[in-house]
Amino acid sequence: MTKPIIRIKNISKSFGAVRVLDGLSIDVMPKERLALIGPSGSGKTTILRILMTLERINDGHIEIDGEQLCHMERAGQLVPADEKHLANARQKIGMVFQHFNLFPHKSVIDNITLAPILTKGVAKPIAEKRAMELLDMVGLADKAKGMPVELSGGQKQRVAIARALALQPKVMLFDEVTSALDPELVEEVLSVLWQLSTETDMTMLLVTHEMGFAHDFAHRVLFFDRGKIVEEGKPGDIFRQPKHERTQAFLKKILAAGHRI
Amino acid sequence: MEWNWAFAFAILPRLLEGAKITIVATFLGFLIAIVIGLAIALGRRSQQAWIARSVGLCADFIRGTPLLVQLYVLFFVLPNIGIVLSPLTAGVIGLGLHNATYIAEVYRAGIESISRGQWEASKACNLSIGQTWRHIIIPQAIPPMVPALANYLIAMFKETPLLSAITVYEIMGEALGAASRTYQYLEPVTMVGGFFLIISLVCAYLARVLEERVRIYQ
Repeated sequence: MTKPIIRIKNISKSFGAVRVLDGLSIDVMPKERLALIGPSGSGKTTILRILMTLERINDGHIEIDGEQLCHMERAGQLVPADEKHLANARQKIGMVFQHFNLFPHKSVIDNITLAPILTKGVAKPIAEKRAMELLDMVGLADKAKGMPVELSGGQKQRVAIARALALQPKVMLFDEVTSALDPELVEEVLSVLWQLSTETDMTMLLVTHEMGFAHDFAHRVLFFDRGKIVEEGKPGDIFRQPKHERTQAFLKKILAAGHRI
Repeated sequence: MEWNWAFAFAILPRLLEGAKITIVATFLGFLIAIVIGLAIALGRRSQQAWIARSVGLCADFIRGTPLLVQLYVLFFVLPNIGIVLSPLTAGVIGLGLHNATYIAEVYRAGIESISRGQWEASKACNLSIGQTWRHIIIPQAIPPMVPALANYLIAMFKETPLLSAITVYEIMGEALGAASRTYQYLEPVTMVGGFFLIISLVCAYLARVLEERVRIYQ
């Protein structure tokens, strides 16, 4: 019996008086691809940000690959993790952001090689060779020497995916990676994700409003509303026969807005 | 009132000597200001509340008092507690420290102009805090600061005549010395004004060139 690679146990998160996540538990199995859907403000992005250690939780525990993420053991007690523990835990996780967040003062290839060289001590030629392979995979080998400002949104996001992959994380988090793109550029980014799903067996968590893509990409879909999982199941079931009326209402709204399944 | 060329030429060598001191004081002072200014800006952002607080208080104190008063303290008061500084040293420290508190605000604005996404991407790339500052934040924060920093350089340059109050023989001190011997103020003061004007215009031009150079992106 394989163990979950991510165990989220009863976590809560508030921003001020607003409770964004409320006693949430999720297990993610290795190689599993999970789609998180739901109205904005439902807490799905916050989950990814917590896993990337960009936000701290108020309550609960998270284990990644058998190790505590937000806590560490000290004298037999679990205490909040210090920066060293967090840095260690972060190695297992990569994230791609809605707004790309490329480093604008670095060339495309330097964006990808910077972290492996600085954080893993990879020799520059080796890091560059690996970066070129990744750029090749996302179809941007010819842009290696270019600057981010010269790229379209879709190209930027493909570089951001390559940058995250360069650190060889065990879990990849995709946070609305096509939401900031012009409609005609969405496809090129989704096709890179599709390629990842068919060519690798990385564990991936995808927050998206692209329901059609979520349907094909994910093994399991979680529908969120107000910080809780309202419904979860196989994509076919969630999208074709949603049981909960809030899921039905959400999907109806999304479809009316022109998204396809 | 008539312009006396002979007098003007006679005092020119001494004014040029003074000009050298002016330029040296400006650049050394600027060097201190940009280094201490960075320290103040980073200190004010410290996670340790007491560091942020005390650095902020010191900076506000220095910014809230006139440079001339600070120069007097450095040169005439510190010897009372056994710290004797040469006029130029006291002048450069005063000029540098005073402007560091202003330049710290330039850094602050520059640092705050970097989007949160850059910090988050650095974290997602597992860079340490130090690496994030060195490789991501500072290289991006500096280019937009160049015009403001150049303005402070020019402003400091024009503040150097204050150093004559603590017997630094920069150009204004030399000019006043020449004038007080002859009671002819027209030539020395005009020449000092012309000197400052020329150097300021040259600096402003160089700053614009530099600004173009550093604008490699955006």
